Amino acid sequence: MAAKSKKDLLVANAILAPLDWVDERTGAVRGTKWFLFRNVPRDVSWAQTLGSAALTAFIVQTLTGVILAMYYEPSSSIDPITGKPIAYSSIEAITNELTLGWLVRGMHRWGASVFIILLFLHMGRVFLFGAYKYPRELTWITGVFILATGMLLGFTGYLLPWDQTAYWATVVGINLNGTAPFAGPWLAQFLAGGPEIGSDALAKWYALHMLVLPGAIIGLIGVHIYLVTRLGVSSPPWSSEEAGRERPPVQTTGTRSGLVRGGGGGD
Amino acid sequence: MARDLGELNREDFARYKDDVKKEGKPFFPRAIFHDTVMSFIVVCVITALAVIWYYDADGVKPGILGPWYTEPADPGTTDFVPRPDWYFYFLFYLLRIFKWPETVFIATVGIPTIGLMLLIGLPFYDRRRERRPLHRPVAMVAAVLTILSMAVLTWKGATAKEALGSELVTLVPKWAEEQGFADNPEAVKGAELFAQSGCLNCHTYMGQGAGNLGAPNLSEIGATNDASYFVQYLTNPAAFGNTVMGSYAYLGQENLAALGDFLAASKGTSSK
Amino acid sequence: MSDTSHDTPHLPGPSLWPIGFAIGVACLLLGLVISWIVAAIGAVLAITFGFLWARDVTRSVRDDVPEIEPEARAVADAPSDDTADTTPASLPTYSRTRFLEASTIGLGAAIGAIVTVPALGFMVLPSFTNLEEGKADLGPIDNFPEGTFVIASYLASPTAGEVSRRTAFVRNNGLAEGDKPSFTILYSRCVHLGCPVQPNGPIDEAAKKEVNGVELRPVLAQSFGCPCHGGLYDAEGNRQAGPPVRSMDRYTFSIKDGRLVLGELYAVGNVSGTGANAKISRYPWSTPGTHVDGVEAWLYPIVPSQVTG
Repeated sequence: MAAKSKKDLLVANAILAPLDWVDERTGAVRGTKWFLFRNVPRDVSWAQTLGSAALTAFIVQTLTGVILAMYYEPSSSIDPITGKPIAYSSIEAITNELTLGWLVRGMHRWGASVFIILLFLHMGRVFLFGAYKYPRELTWITGVFILATGMLLGFTGYLLPWDQTAYWATVVGINLNGTAPFAGPWLAQFLAGGPEIGSDALAKWYALHMLVLPGAIIGLIGVHIYLVTRLGVSSPPWSSEEAGRERPPVQTTGTRSGLVRGGGGGD
Repeated sequence: MARDLGELNREDFARYKDDVKKEGKPFFPRAIFHDTVMSFIVVCVITALAVIWYYDADGVKPGILGPWYTEPADPGTTDFVPRPDWYFYFLFYLLRIFKWPETVFIATVGIPTIGLMLLIGLPFYDRRRERRPLHRPVAMVAAVLTILSMAVLTWKGATAKEALGSELVTLVPKWAEEQGFADNPEAVKGAELFAQSGCLNCHTYMGQGAGNLGAPNLSEIGATNDASYFVQYLTNPAAFGNTVMGSYAYLGQENLAALGDFLAASKGTSSK
Repeated sequence: MSDTSHDTPHLPGPSLWPIGFAIGVACLLLGLVISWIVAAIGAVLAITFGFLWARDVTRSVRDDVPEIEPEARAVADAPSDDTADTTPASLPTYSRTRFLEASTIGLGAAIGAIVTVPALGFMVLPSFTNLEEGKADLGPIDNFPEGTFVIASYLASPTAGEVSRRTAFVRNNGLAEGDKPSFTILYSRCVHLGCPVQPNGPIDEAAKKEVNGVELRPVLAQSFGCPCHGGLYDAEGNRQAGPPVRSMDRYTFSIKDGRLVLGELYAVGNVSGTGANAKISRYPWSTPGTHVDGVEAWLYPIVPSQVTG
């Protein structure tokens, strides 16, 4: 027993000491514990997994996107060898020639749709549960911004293959923005790089798609997850075990008695 | 009960925190297990879609999930029919509904902006504490209506067709077979002209066409008159009291004759 | 928490002289490689700043120099002796704090401006400046039969390549008053949201011509349809049905040595009359979907083409 505990102690030191060292300086371990080892309402179930599922889809998008960026070339000039635009040729090469390129491109393409669907389902779930109400208003608002940024990511990514569907969907999208009062025509001309889509537009949209918008959405997702962890997940409102349900009138004195009782329970 | 909403809300939330602390289950591993299973399904679905898409399509030839890519972008095209990605179909169809110049701005900027504002503002105008769906009738009706209209718009957007030559001309063999003029080359040529020349921008024919400006259905027009009558009519509709339709004399006598044959041969599917 | 207690001048205050000295030395070393003039300047700098530095460092041992900030220091020190423990918050150090706050914000704004103004300018301005597209030469006017539309596909800017491919519907109207040739030249983009408009009529592929990179295809059409949202135009480009907010955009043109040369693109409110006798209400070109006439035009008071020409 003693020998074993001594061995345990060694192992614990070997593993925990570095963790302690990091935690003392960053608080990272405490943060992870705060995130993982918290309680959620006991009736939380499958409906509340849509958010994390969307996060998984987003992580798939990030990974596959980074890899695609290693092979994709955002140029609308004509490739002298293939006689087609360089961007289009690089998409052809990713799909047809590079080993497993088709899979990564396919996952990125379909991951986008799955991500958007999951965002909508997640939003519908939150609406159904009334989970956007006090105190989770800001969680909802960051969520709406995530949805909007996600759709912008889909829209900017749609141009990149530089095929007919991509080009004309983008023309319409740019001109949609162009109909906004006052600034619309200016915004449209900025997005197109001139009165019509010009030779700089593809690289500009590529930068938006893989630098600007991902930065924005990652920040928003971080805030969103922090708020969810801080405020907790809400129970299904029809559940008999709902966390925060109204109690029979034994404890009518309200917050004060609740706090006292809560303190007692903790001890 | 003179306590204000903020106080009640804070009480609710304090009770929530308390309940979660005492009755709740640990997020790790009791809840995160569900999350992981769901994430596993999501990754499998994404991979499966990618695999099906790749093996069902071939280059520009579409499978059930569409082609790998379409033809390279051609900013000067005159025969391409643009469509957005599926999650913008609702907006695409919205743009077709608002088909008056004065209302373009409503569909392009107005409705999407209002929708976004309503979404962002939701927690601020829906301030009741009630969370049970059955006790929130207005919210639930609004949600159902939103989902229904989005679904209908998306469906209509996905199936939207145009009365355009490049799409209609592919239907000519079907028309020829159903109307029974497949063995008449003049009528088939006339049908192709009919498809290309914008007739279906106003008229309807065999379930196609826009039905604008009160123009009649021409599916059974052949039962009313003969080819020479149609040629005269097309040359100068005004002479027959039709001031809405323009003259098609510019197509030339040869083409008009073919169109006349086609219209005369269109006696409806039942008379075959 | 009062800063004043640490603010006694036992140590030499921060000084810029060492930096000047370092620059001087660096200049001297560089000058040894490049030219003796630089070396000389470096030497002078190094000696000057070295002297100033040395004077600074040895100030306290040489003799008592007067306080540098006599007024502020006196006010700050006097109460700190009496009330340091009881009311540190009331110490009148605000003027200094305020100054630091203001200068931090000010300097931050300056940094922001220095970095972002050129970056934003570079991000935005290239889309609005130096947009001159070459005047496209569509070839001899004999290639355009009178009264029939010809689909002309050309490169607006040969250096930019295929991305600048444009399509115009060109109709030769014959001779207008004064025996001047008249052309109706419509731009192929829908003025609703910019989709590629299709001519409604059979294209005569057999009569297709290729004149130095310009593709010409005659088409028997007196109307144009848009494949996106149901826009429909007549032979003058006027809206017949659907959502287009104005008439189809047109090109100015000129005839040089019997060849048709496209000029600039302009927006059209409405066309009355046809062919050579058409009365065109002309406006500066603007994004599709923006009204150029009527009340709605007030939504778009200044469009880019009015500024960039």
